[in-house]
Amino acid sequence: MKLQVQDIKKSFGEKEILHGISFEVVSGRAMGFLGRNGAGKSTTIRCLMDVFRQDSGQFLLDGQVFKPWEKRIGYLPEERGMYQKNDVLGQLTYFAMLRGANKADALKTAHYWIDYFGLGDYKKKKLETLSKGNQQKIQIAQAFLNEPDILVLDEPFSGLDPVNAQVFKDTIANFVKEGKLVIFSSHQMSYVEEVCDDVTLIHEGHILLTGDLKQIKRQEGQDKLQLSLAEGSLEALKQQLAAAFAKVDITLVNNSLILDTQGTNLQAQLMAWLAKEEVKLRSFGLYEPSLTDIFIQKVGEHA
Amino acid sequence: MKHFLTVFRYELKTQLLKKAGIVAMVVMMVLALAGTSLPRIIALFDTDKQAAVEETAPETAAKIAYVFPDEATKALLAPVTGPMPLVMDLREDLVKALQEGSIEVGFVVTADLGYEAIYQDRSMYDTRDSDFAAALSRLKKEQLILSHGLTTAEFNAIENTQIKGATTVLGKNSGTTYWLSFILMLMVYMIVLLYGATVSSIIAREKDSRTMEILITSTRPSALILGKVAAAGVAAIIQFGMVVLTAYIGFQINKSTYPEMIVMMVSGTLTTSYLLTFLFFSFFGFILYLFLYAALGSTVSKMEDLGSATGLVQFLFIFGYIMASIAAQTPNSSLAVVSSIIPFSAIMVMPMRAGVITVPWGQLLPAGVLMLVFVAFFAYLSIKIYRWGSLNYGNKTKLSRIVREALRREGR
Repeated sequence: MKLQVQDIKKSFGEKEILHGISFEVVSGRAMGFLGRNGAGKSTTIRCLMDVFRQDSGQFLLDGQVFKPWEKRIGYLPEERGMYQKNDVLGQLTYFAMLRGANKADALKTAHYWIDYFGLGDYKKKKLETLSKGNQQKIQIAQAFLNEPDILVLDEPFSGLDPVNAQVFKDTIANFVKEGKLVIFSSHQMSYVEEVCDDVTLIHEGHILLTGDLKQIKRQEGQDKLQLSLAEGSLEALKQQLAAAFAKVDITLVNNSLILDTQGTNLQAQLMAWLAKEEVKLRSFGLYEPSLTDIFIQKVGEHA
Repeated sequence: MKHFLTVFRYELKTQLLKKAGIVAMVVMMVLALAGTSLPRIIALFDTDKQAAVEETAPETAAKIAYVFPDEATKALLAPVTGPMPLVMDLREDLVKALQEGSIEVGFVVTADLGYEAIYQDRSMYDTRDSDFAAALSRLKKEQLILSHGLTTAEFNAIENTQIKGATTVLGKNSGTTYWLSFILMLMVYMIVLLYGATVSSIIAREKDSRTMEILITSTRPSALILGKVAAAGVAAIIQFGMVVLTAYIGFQINKSTYPEMIVMMVSGTLTTSYLLTFLFFSFFGFILYLFLYAALGSTVSKMEDLGSATGLVQFLFIFGYIMASIAAQTPNSSLAVVSSIIPFSAIMVMPMRAGVITVPWGQLLPAGVLMLVFVAFFAYLSIKIYRWGSLNYGNKTKLSRIVREALRREGR
């Protein structure tokens, strides 16, 4: 399956929130939809799920107009809510039936996901009697009911403790392995980096970059070297290098120097200089930026 | 249809299993049984009271004293005072006895059979003075009858001369049908307010807790709204049906103890034509109001705003109640006729009119058709507003704008 988001525009009143955004998601590869708070992630997802109707543009699934109600979709909204006063099993069964399952299958899938998240003892309890963490698990479980073909998760990691986050990451990974189409929004880069194959970065309603995460990292690290010292001062070394290589842009980041040769092919000369100056190196190699670095850099460029 | 049934079953189960609802229903059933058993209960107490009165009569009699002008008057009043009345010579003696508490009431009788009743303290329910006055009056009347050469029996025969006549009511006799119609109207009033508030709060709570977003992305809004309204309607029928059934059983059990007038009142009101009119207008009017409540419940973002949002519909409904009260007095007035055709008031006005008069088909049919059209339109509108509500949180929006925006939105 291939989901295409094509030139989506959406305004609320006079204010345009999405300025013609486009990107693609393919099944078997998890897509991380990144952006700061208020960047337009949830609005995009709500348009995709037909909670909001976009002003222009379209969502296509395998070339056809995407109608979410015709597909088996697991959806986790950003603002999660369920019936506080109703029992856990009853409402999960209800949600499964609303999405097309018959009573027997709905019960089966509800039992499965409650047990999967280790909440078998709470099936007959009212949701409000569960701890906040367990309530979150139930809310997440509802997105997985009925073996959905498409998973749309809005900020799924928000509020999860590390153990639950790991369980959730594994679950998403399994869905991806099964060839499902998975898209989730987040501003927590580490989770996205661990789970996603593709990323799309949105900022103030514009897509800043989209594509294969590894390729993006390579591209963003092109012409850049990274070194760290076993002995000596990074600040002093930075000044020496700046004096010796005027065309190299040097940045001090997290106990290391990032040397951007800016297409000048000075790598060999740099290595020679470091050897001649007998700099005590801990590491020296090609620079691969983290997703956080890329995010900060890209958003910074457009701030 | 499948999703409608899913929503319907889930909502119905949730409503019927609510503890507060069960308790309220049981309380109402007990009240219905007690209410319909009231004549029997009153009869039980009346017997006791009568016995008590009989037992205490001599004692009570002893607490009354008399002052007579002469022995002849005393003898004349013997049927009223009893053979051995407590007699005092002077009014002052009587007053003294009252002040000392040895008697409760004293009567100073004059020669022309006039009297003065004297109490130290008189309770609200004391009727001894008026009873004495009535007895004196009867005695004096008998004296007058005798003075005209008639016996009492002859006089009574003249006074009780019967005229042979009959009253034929071709339609309804509002004297007998008014009260039951009024009670049924009150029941409809309670049901609409109770279950209307339930529906609007269910929807507002779903929105407040953000459950609505999961629901709206899981199935069609029409299935959600229709399922919820149908569930509330059926829950009302089940719960109030149990109360009505209890009242009916209570009535049947205690029927023998009811005054004939009440039995006639019930059987005179509950005709097939009245019941059909009542059921049609009450049921569809109820559904109409449920859709209104559901739509307004969708417009609020927080539970605390629900009261002000549903104020308009409550105003409409109370207007209907006032119109029904007017229609009960003047069922053929223009106001009553018009308000029995407008669906918002027809829910109560038409059954009330049908209870006290025979409503012509020329009014029943248009009112019925208009009611069905309104139910269909407001069902559609409430689905649209519900869908609109799922997208709008925060700022309060004018109702006219909500309706405009809701109707403009295309798709599901």
